[in-house]
Formats: sequence, structure tokens, C-alpha cells
Amino acid sequence: MMADEASTRLFPTEPASHLRPRSRSVKSLVSTPESSFWRTFCSSSFQPSSLHLPITSLSFSPDSSLLASASSTSVRLFSSLSLSNPDPYPYPYPDSEPTPFATLPLPDLAYSPSFRCDGALIAAGCENGSVRVFDFPKNNKSPKTLRRLKAHSCASRVVSFPLLDHKLCLFSAGDDALFVQWDLPTETPLFTVPGAHRDYIRAGAPSPVSPDVFATGSYDHTVKIWDARVDSGASASSVLSINHGHPVESVLFLPSGGLLATAGGNTVKLWDVIAGGKPVYSVETHNKTVTALTLAKVRDDTRLLSVSIDGYLKSFDFSRFKVTHSMRYPAPLLSVAFSPTGTIRVVGTNNGLIYMGIKKKKDEFEGQVRSNDFAWSVPLPEKPTTRKNIRYFKRGQSEKPSEGDFVIKKPEKVKLKEHDRLLRKFLHKDALVSVLKTKQTTSIMAVLEELVARRKLIKCISNLDNDELGLLLSFISKKATVPWCARFLMDLAKWVLEIRAEDIRSGGTEMSVHVRTLRAMVAHEIQGYVILGSGATVRTFTLERRAPY
Amino acid sequence: MIVGGQSLVTSPPVFSHDGKKLLVCTGCTVSVFSTTTGMLITELEGHTERVTSIVVVPVVGKVGTKFSYYCWTASLDGMIFYWDFSTPDLFKKVNVHLPVHSMVIPNILSASLGSTNKASQNLYAFLSVEDANRKVENVKHLCGLIQIYDLTNSTNVGSVLAETHKPETLAVSKSGEFVGIKKNKQLNIWRVPNKNLKSVNMKKLKLHHTRTLSCLAFHPTKRIVAAGDVSGRILIWKGFGKTRYSQDGGGKMKIDRGDMPGVIDRDDADSCSTWHWHSSEIKFLMFSSDESYLFSGAKEGVIVVWQLDTGNKNYKPNMGSPLMYFTDSPDPSLSCISCEDNEIHVLRMPSMDIIKSISGIKPPLVLPELQGDQSCVTIGCDRSNGFVALPTKDYRVQFFSLLDGTDISHLQVIERNYDPVEETTVYVSLVEVSDDGSMMCTVEEKLPEMGIGGLISLKFWARGSHTGQYTLSTVIYEPHNNAGVSDVAFCPGRSMAVSTSYCGNFKVWVNNFSSIHSGDEIPEKGGWRCQSVSSYKGIPMTAAAFSGDGSVLAVAAQTVITLWDPLNNVLVAAIGDSLGPIRQLSFVGSSEYIVSFSAGTKADLVVWNISNLCMHWSYKLLVEDICCTRSGTRFAVLALLSPLDKSISTGKDGIVLVFDVENPIPVSSWFVKKAKGGRLNFINNKLGEATDGKLLLAYINGEHEYILFDPSDVKEGEDYIPRAARRPQSHAHDENVSHGYASIYGELPSFDLTKARSSDNIPFVPSERPWETIFSGSSHALPPLSKLCSPFLESLLEKAEKQTVLSQ
Repeated sequence: MMADEASTRLFPTEPASHLRPRSRSVKSLVSTPESSFWRTFCSSSFQPSSLHLPITSLSFSPDSSLLASASSTSVRLFSSLSLSNPDPYPYPYPDSEPTPFATLPLPDLAYSPSFRCDGALIAAGCENGSVRVFDFPKNNKSPKTLRRLKAHSCASRVVSFPLLDHKLCLFSAGDDALFVQWDLPTETPLFTVPGAHRDYIRAGAPSPVSPDVFATGSYDHTVKIWDARVDSGASASSVLSINHGHPVESVLFLPSGGLLATAGGNTVKLWDVIAGGKPVYSVETHNKTVTALTLAKVRDDTRLLSVSIDGYLKSFDFSRFKVTHSMRYPAPLLSVAFSPTGTIRVVGTNNGLIYMGIKKKKDEFEGQVRSNDFAWSVPLPEKPTTRKNIRYFKRGQSEKPSEGDFVIKKPEKVKLKEHDRLLRKFLHKDALVSVLKTKQTTSIMAVLEELVARRKLIKCISNLDNDELGLLLSFISKKATVPWCARFLMDLAKWVLEIRAEDIRSGGTEMSVHVRTLRAMVAHEIQGYVILGSGATVRTFTLERRAPY
Repeated sequence: MIVGGQSLVTSPPVFSHDGKKLLVCTGCTVSVFSTTTGMLITELEGHTERVTSIVVVPVVGKVGTKFSYYCWTASLDGMIFYWDFSTPDLFKKVNVHLPVHSMVIPNILSASLGSTNKASQNLYAFLSVEDANRKVENVKHLCGLIQIYDLTNSTNVGSVLAETHKPETLAVSKSGEFVGIKKNKQLNIWRVPNKNLKSVNMKKLKLHHTRTLSCLAFHPTKRIVAAGDVSGRILIWKGFGKTRYSQDGGGKMKIDRGDMPGVIDRDDADSCSTWHWHSSEIKFLMFSSDESYLFSGAKEGVIVVWQLDTGNKNYKPNMGSPLMYFTDSPDPSLSCISCEDNEIHVLRMPSMDIIKSISGIKPPLVLPELQGDQSCVTIGCDRSNGFVALPTKDYRVQFFSLLDGTDISHLQVIERNYDPVEETTVYVSLVEVSDDGSMMCTVEEKLPEMGIGGLISLKFWARGSHTGQYTLSTVIYEPHNNAGVSDVAFCPGRSMAVSTSYCGNFKVWVNNFSSIHSGDEIPEKGGWRCQSVSSYKGIPMTAAAFSGDGSVLAVAAQTVITLWDPLNNVLVAAIGDSLGPIRQLSFVGSSEYIVSFSAGTKADLVVWNISNLCMHWSYKLLVEDICCTRSGTRFAVLALLSPLDKSISTGKDGIVLVFDVENPIPVSSWFVKKAKGGRLNFINNKLGEATDGKLLLAYINGEHEYILFDPSDVKEGEDYIPRAARRPQSHAHDENVSHGYASIYGELPSFDLTKARSSDNIPFVPSERPWETIFSGSSHALPPLSKLCSPFLESLLEKAEKQTVLSQ
């Protein structure tokens, strides 16, 4: 009779791991759901111009139909349709390359193309400081320059439309450390901050929650957040100033608008804007300067993508603060963009190549634009569960837990194997027989060792009846020379033959077959030792003397 | 000086009347624990020898009388003390002059009742004492005596009730009606008369059995006695002593064998039934307070609950250790069980869940056979935190804080189910903790059965977030092929360790932190691997030690000490011969000396000089352990005294010597008890305000009792710090936890008597005829009822008198 279930932890007899040589097989690459997602992208590359000029900026239109790339003096527009349906002949055939659908004429080096929230206008900065706004005539005519905004004395590196439905406004900032909010129809600045930073402004991002809030990042290591509503005249001061610690290359608001990601040096840092610029996390996985940030939709989650001079694109899960994926490109990366549909990923390098990945397989959700600006949509507050429903009160035992429910699991019942169960009942011989019948070498060895620890092995052997003895002998004769259990089994074989010599002699042919195999195996093993020249270490084995067959 | 580590399970513990406190005999003191927190509340100090029994004075009637926390204690020093254990105060000392092994006070209930009316009866104690003189004189060695002692008048009552070979434990029924002992194969039961208690009119009843009995218990109300024997059987006698105690003269019994099933030898009982489940000696029997169950326990560690009427049995949790005593409390939902591994579990009663465990230091591991010169199991010690790591019987390592005297944690080392009945075949043979406590190494051995399948494995552990929490880092199976590991040492300031073996080589292990450490949730990869293997002429290696800076590794190859460069695995030097094989060696602080000792017939203690590679000085001493300070030049030695020595008679068989390496004359010395298997260690003193980095010398004796003393202090046992004073009184708040009525309905508003008496201020003129005035005046100003009642009744008498007068 066995006592109650012990309150303490129960240890089953474990397979004899200590004797087995560890397998040396190298594990294949770890496959995570994230990596399998990125693997569904079909990669290719193309060169928008024959010149090896760096792609400084990439941008998708809000409906994902257009891609704008800034390199040298032009902003080229590609139709994403032509990107996603490449010709059957892949690169390097020149015909197959996606050709620009249009080129925006700019007088000097072009910077930072930005689409308006409805995709009807595009704005771009220029080395000479002017900011130009273009429209798209639908019938393949070249884009027309609608407005020329002149306030910057140096290169206007940052040009951006607000993200919210605020169509008459534009932000720009430049190397002259000037930050301007423009009123487009009148070409006049609404809000001007001269000397916003003490160095070049090279990064900027509009807030996803307010059309008046804009963040700028500068080479003076700081990121400043401006609110156009707080206009205190000439000496306008920023709402918030954050010290990144390195020259800031890129700034990005995360979808909630409460978190700000800044890139500079080798690090990407996350800041809590609402908490007054409290550092939240620092991602330090890149080995060289991080140049650009963007958001990507991975299945139902949003990831922060960062590219760096070291050629890596890293996908960072900012809800878990974990880098979930990284991709290597053969060139220093300068810009990155991810289409709002979540199907196209483009990366710009400093040698004029654009690497792109197009998602081949389509889920039922993907491929359609869910909202105008997918990443910026503030999640709707979930509907609180109502208890008014009569079904809530009538739910019974078979009720399945819904998604948000906290499930309290039943304590899992300990599953014991047959031999473990018998060992717990101190039925040692039965345990040995039951495990011998399973023919699993590791389990058998574990039970044999457990029996040794309980000082019951010899007793068990002497209590086995003839059939069970046959089982044991067949196991021994099969495994006696397997290196990891040889030492144990050789000693055991000696004892079995010694104790049960009479039974084996009278046991019939089956028994003698086992003993003969055993003898043959041992003889073979000894021969092997002699051949190897280590005859001195051969274990003395008394089989011949005891079993005269 | 701090004393601790006494066994909690030498005698059964006793609950206080409200079940909130548990009185435990711990050596010469009685420790009072809180059952809600499991923490020590206070200690009763006064006895000079082991306390053997405690009797708590029960509280009758109103809770909160002045007798609520009183108890009697008896000790081997022949004294019986009367305490108030809430304060604690000693009230009364009674000298019995003989070592008391067991004491019961059957009439304590009626005596305490009577204490309210002054003409109370005397308090009589039944004592089981040991008379050593009889041992010498008498051939039969009947040195155990059962006596009655009048505690009120401090006198012996009458003659000896019974004589036994050794002092027996007394059992008493709850009502105090019967007192009994087991005596070999029979039970002796006395009925205690309600008054006029004299040993002459004590009637002895004998119940016989065919085997030696081990324990007995009385039913709380009925005439049922249960006894357990050494073979695991339980005997239940029902209706004992009906004839014997009914007739006044105790005449001849009329026996009808027909309706007395199971009763043998014309015993005076209605029936005797036998139950058998346990396979070994019954350790305790106890009737439940609701009188329908019987609890029994033995070595298996399982409490068996027998239903008295049917004999059906139920099994309660496996405690994982042989059981010793089962004590129930006045609170029916509480009881406690004492286990052999020095642990007391407080149980919630019907379900028998463990609420709290009071855990002492684990008893030393008893190994089946010691092979050759392999000594007993070693103890690891974390010097900086002052705790020791002790291997326990149930394949664990216990971390015990010497300074606080508390159990810190347990670590399962071998993943195996522990069965207390089995003999030890798998055990942790060596525990080594690095100086800062960040790394630990354990060696476990699995003994082969008839030469089949022995296994030795080495495990490295890394400390977790707090002390005493370790996680497994690396397992190395068969570190030295088939040979045993003789010693393991950690290199200070480096994650490096060395293990020596009897097969003649030693291995240096290093921990390589290969992976990137990022975040807490990612476990560190990498682990310990063998850096180098070396041997010296194939001689078995017996001990190893690193120098203080970790640059030199000294390994003892039997009688020779070899010095190695552990990084490059180069033999630097070998130092001469000691007399016997070296058991242990150690670098003395930062000095250039090594101290080593060897055991056996050629036992000696040697101090070696490394700079000139020769012996510095030596002693011919049977040394048990040495330990050195990490800085400075002192070391402590625990030596066994030879049996011929004089001081053996006082029970002190060992001596602790503190030496300075330069001088072979010891700086200070102490005589200690139970030195066989003892251990010495220096630990940092972290007590109270005395954080001056002073080292304390910890001596743990063979039974795992320990003493901490200041090695620079020459006086012995002067400034004894009581254990209760050393720790914060964390139990204080839970003494106010309400229970019973108050827990359900809240506190009653306090009843202020003075308020009621305020009516005394009302002018009240006593007169000859008070009944004429008492009811006059406004109703709210009437005198209290107590004042009104007697005059009113008197007035009635007065009227009657008048009437009688009139009628006359």
C-alpha cells in the first residue's frame, strides 16, 4: 500500500543522460515566427540611376502606390505596381528594372521627399535651401511645381507634411538650424524658430497625434519637440529637449505618440515624451551609425526598423524591447521605407542601389490598406465586456475562456510511466520487467541504476522467472558492447551468469542463443582491443568459464 | 559567544494553552516559537543540562488570568522549574537531585482549578528519573525509577512506583486519571486517585504483549490504551482495568476467556486488537481530540490515521523524514509533528497541511560505510555571509545561517525521491562554497551494489539573486573516471576550481562565460570545463588549497605537498614528507606558510614554509579540522584529546587551539565537547553594531551544535548573547491577531468597572434601616444592584420578624 501523493516534488527515474555521449549535431538556424515572416519577402535590387550616388531618403505614399527616392539632384517616383510585378527576367537585365514613373525636377541635391496625407502632393527639400511642393497629374505628365518655399539659407534637409489630416501645412528644417511651419497656400511661414538647434538639423518627425507637434533632431546631440501652438514670438523655445548623446540621424514618433525613437551614433533610444523625456530603453545592437528609422507592420504587430552604416537592418519589437530579427546587406545603408500595406520593404544604400523585398504570400488581411495611415492610428479603446447579457450569467462549466480571460489552470497531474509507477510501489521486479518490455535502452538503464541505488538489483535478478530472464539476457546481449552502458552491463552480465547459471543451462535454446551472442560479442570486442594494441586494458571476462556452450 | 544548533527534537514540544506558542526543548533552554510565524519569541534559560519535558499549566475558564502562560520544566540536571514563559520569569525551583527523563503532572488540571480556592490539593508530578548509583550497586541495572514528587511542598511522596532498565517516558491520559509507562513487553498503568495520593494506594495494572513495546497513548475519555511495538504493530486494549480498579481490595479477577478476544496472560481488559501497517518501530501514537481517530507514525515518514471503530486507515503527507513525536494543541485545528531531521512542522489539523516549519540545523549525515581514509562528509561555509552549507539525508544541501541560527534555504542536489526507510546509497559527499559565496561545488556519490554501477559526479552551482539560492551550472559525470573525489577548492577571485582524486590526478576547472550577457531571462551559456589535468608520480591526491591571491595551488599527494602554477599547469616545487597522508591543507592568510594535518596512527599537525620549502614546526596531535584566516597569520585547529586525558570526564573531548604561524605556542585555547567530526570556520561578524569586520570562529561539533566565539577573546563563555536578543522581534505584531469570537465579531468594547463604580460618589447615608431610603430618589441615581440587593433582602427579613413579633 502506498502513501498519499507526496506534497513534495516527484522525481521520475530519468534516462541515464550522464553516460550517453552528447550528440554533436549543429542546430539549424533558429526559426521564429518573425524570421519566417521576413522570409516570405522576395528580395531583389535595382539602381534608379546609372550614377552610384547615395540614396538619402525613401518614402512611400500613404496608399502605397508610389515610392519616392531621393538621390543626387532628383527625387524619383516609382509606381509600386511596377515594383511588385517585376518582369520574369530578374536583375541584371536592364529591361527588367523598375523604371521611374516620374522625376521631380530640383535645382540642386534633393532631400527628404514627403507625401501629403492624402497622397495628392509631394514636397522635397533642396541643397540650396528652397522647399518645393509638387502635384501629380494623373495622365503621365511630368509633375508640376506648385509652390516654392524660401526661408532656409542652407540645405533644407528635413521636409515633412503633418501626419494628421491637416492639408495646408508643412514643416521644414535645415542646416541653418532654422525650423519653420509653412502655410502652403500663401507660401508664408506660420511659425519660425531661428536657431532651433546649435548645429545642423538632420532629422525630424511629425507627431501622429497632433498636427502642430514636430520633433527635430540635430547634430548638437539634442532632440527638440516643438508645438506650433506655443508661439512665444521670436524667442520661441521648445516644448521638450532631449539629449541623445550622439549626433541625431533620425527621429520617429511611435504610433501612440507618447514614445519617441531617436537614432544617433550606434544606438537607437526610446524616450517617453509624456513623462517629460524619460529614457525608456536603449537599443545598442548596431556596430556603426544608425542612419534611418521606420515603422513596419509585421502581421498584427508593429516593429521599429533601423538601418545602419554597418549594413544591418534590425527589426525591434518595442513592446517587448527585443530585437526580433536582423538582415544583412552588402553595403552601408542610408534609408529605409516600408509600405503601409505591409508588403514592400525598400532599403537605400550609399552606392545608389535600392534593395527591396516584396511579400509573395498574401494573407487574407494583407495587401489591402487598412487605414489611411496604418501605423498612426490610435487603437480604439476596447469595448468593455458587458455583464447585462443573460448568456453571461447562464454560462456553465463547459464555457470556453474568451481571449481576455485569465485562465487558472488545474494543477497538472503527474504523468508517470509504468515502471515509475511500479517503482513507487516498491514492486522492483515488475518495474524491471515492464521497462525491459519497452525496449528503450535509456529507460532500461535508468531503472537498472535506480535499482542499484535501492540495493535491489541482485534480488531482482534472482527473482526473475525464465521468460523474464530471457528478456534481460537478450537486452544484455544486444547492448553489452555499446560504449556508454558497457561498463554497467558487463558487470551485470557477470552477476546474471553467476546467479542464474543453473536456470540458463536448463533454460533451453533461446537462453543459449543469448549467451552465445554475448560471448561472440565479447570475443569480438576483445579482438578489437588486441588489434588496436591495447590488449593490456581488456577487461577480464569470465564468460568462458561459467557458460560452457 | 553565541551558542546554537541544538536539536529541536530531543523531546516532544508542547503548545501553549491558546495554541499560539510552541515550547520546544533545545538543549539547556526552552525555546518559545510562534506558531503563526515560526519565529523564535523567547528562550527560557536556567537549566544547566538538557531539558527533557515541559508541562504547560492549562487555563480553565476565563482566558487572560494570570496563569495563562505558566509552565513546569524538568531537566537532566535534577531541577524542576516553574516559569512564566511570556515574560519570561522563573518563579520556583524544585530540586529532585536525580536527572529527570520524563515528567507528567496528572492532576495539573484539578490543581490549577483548585488554585482559585486556597485550600487546594498539592501538585503531584510523576517523574521518571535515572539513579546512576543503582547502576553500580545493583546487578540487574534497574537504574530507571518512577517516582511521585510533591511539587507544592518539594518532597518525595512514598516509595518508588516502578523500576526499569533505563528511564522510560511517562504517558498520561488527558483527564489525568491514568499514568502509564512501557516496560519491555508490558505496559504498567496506574490510576491516579483524585485525593489522598500516596504511592501505597496506587494500583498498578499490567498489560502484556509478546514483543517489546515502544510507545503508548491513552484515549482522552474512554478506558482505551494504545501501544506500539518495535515490529510496527499497534495494540488497542479496550476497557482495561475494569475489575482491578472497580474492586477496592483488588482481589482476584474473574476471567472469562471467551469474551476477551486478543487479551493474553489474564490481563485486565475487555479486548485487545492489533493493527499492523508500519514496518518498523512505532515512534508515536496519539488519539485525536475528537476521540475517533488514532494517529501513528514511524520511520516511513507517513502519518497513518486509523479510524478507531473500524480500523480503516488513511495516509497523510509524506514528511520526507522519520517521524519522532506528534503533539496536539488545545486548539483543535493545530498540531505539530517533529521529524528526525530536526524540523518541526505545524499542521492544520483535519487536512494535515503544513502551515509552518520550524527548522533547525540538519543532523550530520550518517554514511553506511566509510571506505578507507575517506573521512566524513564535509561542510561548505560562506565566510562573508556567515552561513554553512550542509548536506542532508534527503539529497539536499541546507544553508544555515550561524549568526541568526535560522535555516535559509534548501537546494535539491540529487534529483531523486527520498525514502527514509532505505539505507543511504546515494549521498552528497562534499560541499564547497567559494569564499564570496558566488560559486558552489557539490560532489555526489552513488555506491555500487555488488560492484555494479557506482557513479560519482561533480556539480557546479552559481548563486542566484540572493544568498542561499543557487542554480545548477554544470554537471560533470565521473570527473576522475571511476575514482573518488578527495577535495575541491575554489580559487579566490577567479572562477577556477580544482578537484583532487584518489586515482592520482587533479583537474583544474574553469568557468568560461562565452555568451553575451543580455537581460536576466537569458540564462548564461557556457559553464565549467576542465582546463588541465596533472598528476604527481601517480600518488593519490588527498587535499588541495589555493593561496590567498590565487597564484599558487598546493596539492597534497599523500605525504608530499606539491606546489603548482594553476594557470600554466606547471609544477613549481614539492615539499618534503609529513608522517602520514595529509588530510587537509591550507595557506595561512597572506603569509608564506602552509598548514597541514594528517590523521590515522601517525597523526600530526605541520606548518610548512614555502619560501625555503621546509617544515617550520609540527605537533603530534590528532587533528580533526583546521581553518585559516584569509588575512593575518593566525589559524585555528580542532584537535581530539586522547581518551586518557583528564578533561574527558567532563565530557569535553576536544580542544580548539588558535596559533600564530611564527610561534608554536598557541595564542588561545578552548575545551569543547563532541569534537569527533567537528568543523571549524572563520566567519565575518555581521552582528548588530559590531560590524568592524571582526572574524568569529565557528565551531560546529559532531552533532551539528555550534558555538561562535571571538578568537582574540581568551575568556571562555563570558559574554553569552542570548539568541532571542540577536534578532529583530518580528513576531511582535502577530501576537495581537484576534481569534475565536473576536475574529468574527470584532473586539468587545472594554468593560470599564470604574465607570460603574462612579455611582459611589452619590451621597449615600448608611442608616440602621436602609430599606426605608434605598428606593427613594430619582431612578437614574439609584445605587448599584449589589448595594441594593442585600439591604432589600434584609428588609424582607425585618418585616417577617415584625410579623412574627406581631403574631406573638
